[in-house]
Amino acid sequence: MKEIDIEEEIIGTLEGMLGESVLGSKSPRPRRVYIHVKPAAHKRAISALLQAFPSTIISTITGIDLGETIEINYHFWCGKAEVTIRTNLSKSKPEIETITDIVPGASLYEREVHDLLGVKFANHPNLTRLLLPESWPENSYPLRKDWNPKQTGEIHDSSEKTLTIGETRTESNGGSLVNVIVGPQHPALHEPERFLFKLDGEVVVDVEPRLGYAHRGIEKAAEHLMFFQDVHLVERVCGICNVAHTTCFCQAVEALGKIEIPSRAKYLRTIVHEFNRIHSHLLLLGIAGLEIGFESLFQYLWRDRETVLDLTEKLTGNRVMAEYSTIGGVRRDLTPILGDEIKKKLQKIRDRLSFYKEVFQSDPTIELRTKGIGVLSEEKALKLCVVGPVARGSGVKSDVRKHDPYAAYEDAPFKEILYKDGDSWSRLMVRLEEVGESIEIITWAVDNIPSGPYRIRVPRRMPRGESLSRVEAPRGELIHYVKGNGTAYPERVKIRSPTLANIISFREMIRGCYVADIPAVLASLDPCFSCTDRMVFVDEKNGRRWIWSMNDLKARRRDS
Amino acid sequence: MNPNIFFRILVFPGFLFLFVLILFCDWFERKIMARMQNRMGPSYTGPFGILQPLADYIKLLTKEDIIPHHARQFLFSLTPIISFSIFMLSIFCFPLDGINVFSNYGFEGDLLFVLALVTFAHFFLFLSGWSSSNPYSGIGAVRILMQFIGYDIPLIISAIGPAFLAGSLSLAKIASMQTIPFALLTPWTFILFLVALQAELEEDPFDVPHAETEIVAGYGTEFSGRKLAFIRLAKDTQIVFGAVLTATLFLGGPYGPVFSAPPSLWFTIYFVLKVLFVIALLEFVEAICARLRIDHVVRGNWRMITPAALLSVILTVLSAPYIRLFMGAPI
Repeated sequence: MKEIDIEEEIIGTLEGMLGESVLGSKSPRPRRVYIHVKPAAHKRAISALLQAFPSTIISTITGIDLGETIEINYHFWCGKAEVTIRTNLSKSKPEIETITDIVPGASLYEREVHDLLGVKFANHPNLTRLLLPESWPENSYPLRKDWNPKQTGEIHDSSEKTLTIGETRTESNGGSLVNVIVGPQHPALHEPERFLFKLDGEVVVDVEPRLGYAHRGIEKAAEHLMFFQDVHLVERVCGICNVAHTTCFCQAVEALGKIEIPSRAKYLRTIVHEFNRIHSHLLLLGIAGLEIGFESLFQYLWRDRETVLDLTEKLTGNRVMAEYSTIGGVRRDLTPILGDEIKKKLQKIRDRLSFYKEVFQSDPTIELRTKGIGVLSEEKALKLCVVGPVARGSGVKSDVRKHDPYAAYEDAPFKEILYKDGDSWSRLMVRLEEVGESIEIITWAVDNIPSGPYRIRVPRRMPRGESLSRVEAPRGELIHYVKGNGTAYPERVKIRSPTLANIISFREMIRGCYVADIPAVLASLDPCFSCTDRMVFVDEKNGRRWIWSMNDLKARRRDS
Repeated sequence: MNPNIFFRILVFPGFLFLFVLILFCDWFERKIMARMQNRMGPSYTGPFGILQPLADYIKLLTKEDIIPHHARQFLFSLTPIISFSIFMLSIFCFPLDGINVFSNYGFEGDLLFVLALVTFAHFFLFLSGWSSSNPYSGIGAVRILMQFIGYDIPLIISAIGPAFLAGSLSLAKIASMQTIPFALLTPWTFILFLVALQAELEEDPFDVPHAETEIVAGYGTEFSGRKLAFIRLAKDTQIVFGAVLTATLFLGGPYGPVFSAPPSLWFTIYFVLKVLFVIALLEFVEAICARLRIDHVVRGNWRMITPAALLSVILTVLSAPYIRLFMGAPI
């Protein structure tokens, strides 16, 4: 049991370095380590972890309201195992030292916990709202157990600082900057999000992203639904990578309940997961073409994507929202006839792929617009803890399928695609080649699928405990942390979607680029804001005078 | 004064004919673009969707017309109409069915007049963006200036080539001289002219002034209703104008073999076919290109296109005696 050795080694190293500060440690299953430290010792523990494993990246921070105390979990991926460093704070005065000085990538996660649980991170450079509107009342923290929506009341965002469009500001050095707002509604954005760009002529000086326009409160809502209902809820986190979310959540719940699913189900999950990846990557490559004004490429890529959607529909019954994984297996079986059809149709996509690869490699306009643009160095990528194709485009090994295998990936033959340059072009090429790898995986899985049942029945009640599940969603590492309390309802569900990890690097990439590069670079990140904004139930009414609120609109509709 | 002139200006080959031609070219453009991109293109309104552009304009005319609070109201209302009118007027100067709309062969130097009018029209497109007081429009307007001022130079230099070969600055004379199209005799000038024209018409890879994914609709962002209809119409007219200019300078304009009377019928047919041919060429380039960045566009002009245009003029001048000999024209 080589893997157990790794976990013991990690625990041993950290206990050795921290001594008395460690309150407890455990490793419930391979590649998962939990270390409980004393309140103020978290920073020492994290720097010890960084020292022992230099390529450690932060996955997320989970805050849980335990009644008397607030538990803060720092989840790290240290290259071999997911290490959770845990510490408790008193609820009356929740204050903790920030870790952004040693892990810059933790900035957004700390703001998220601050926003939703009211934990104050001392010395954080910019501890402002991340997801909730500016006008959200102070001392109202939705993820605390004693919060109820009535207490917050109606929100009018009249207090929100109105941004002046096109405002020109003279800088001290004599130049002048123009503020240009992109979003919440903008043709280059397919989802509502706002970016405030500071421009010097055509050059981007700085950008301030503002998230939170697509809140649906899924994490809070998940606590009020049963586990098997939550599968359908988390599926709605994101339309495109829905399979990743359900697979991840089901795996977490199965690990929580110590359920071993049939291996046929694992293979079927793999197949649908890879369909999902092909469809998402082709979609993004098409969008990237559209953003740099290459409409023909967009049309061609999206036509080929139809094939995958058709196959997904034949296997799962739905084109996009697959509703396929469920706790204990999958919902439908694969027939041999369909298996042959899948292989035949994927062969066609493989042929098309070599054509697209040639286009991306040889077209001079694509080269001008993407090569050397929006560069993220390997060092910066590690520091900002980016994931998925963005990290791999910068040469950081981050494929969860390879390093933390789940479903049937342990045996699947595939390569981890790495590009070194870290520019937009590398990120797009990573995706293009991953489509080829996905085709290999599906073909292999269809050929080698074991027979047997594809689903087992599971109890609704799940035992007390916790589990953390990672999958490689099309956009990168996706994490679901599920805590059970012995009932059919989860105590806490925490979702960290890949875009939240990646969006922090946008600022790094876009500085010094031209206005025209903004959409191209943003597209190369493959941002998915509905994934990112899923945290809190917001019943917000837009209070700006010249915009009708939702209710006004409804009233108007009734009148006419 | 010829009473016929009103018919010529208003109906054929003047306003109405050109309007129908512009709408047809819009449809043609959309259809071949769609076919090249594996799409259907307009297909519901009328046979093969041929009435779709007309339906679009009628729809726009019925929409609410909003003037932003901060906009320069007078300029904002005026520029769409003026830019449309200028492009229309410049097409009037071309020999359309053998003679121009005003029933004559133009005057010596109307090539320069037309080119000057177009530069003027571009300035109005810039003003339309500038007057809307919107950052997207502002960026779009500045991009127009950067792009057009740059590309006007190679365009005009390339237009000199045919004028030199024909020994005249009159559009009708240049067109009627071409027993063999100049496009075949001096392909180097023709290609450069097409590149500069592509930039003038804001087609890919030069569509930076209205790059949708960056600055929404560029200078046209704030326009709506009737004004948007006129801006769109001005853009379509501009594309037809570009095609007419190319056809006249390089493809022999409306002239060609006449098989039976009346010649003006044949001339009209040749004219329309040549215009469609040029549009198909332009659209093909648009289909296979991604959008460049404004700095690429400007740098490409000053480093490559303008010097190349100058070289091509020198080449044309040097080879002119042989070409004229070949055409059988007096040297």
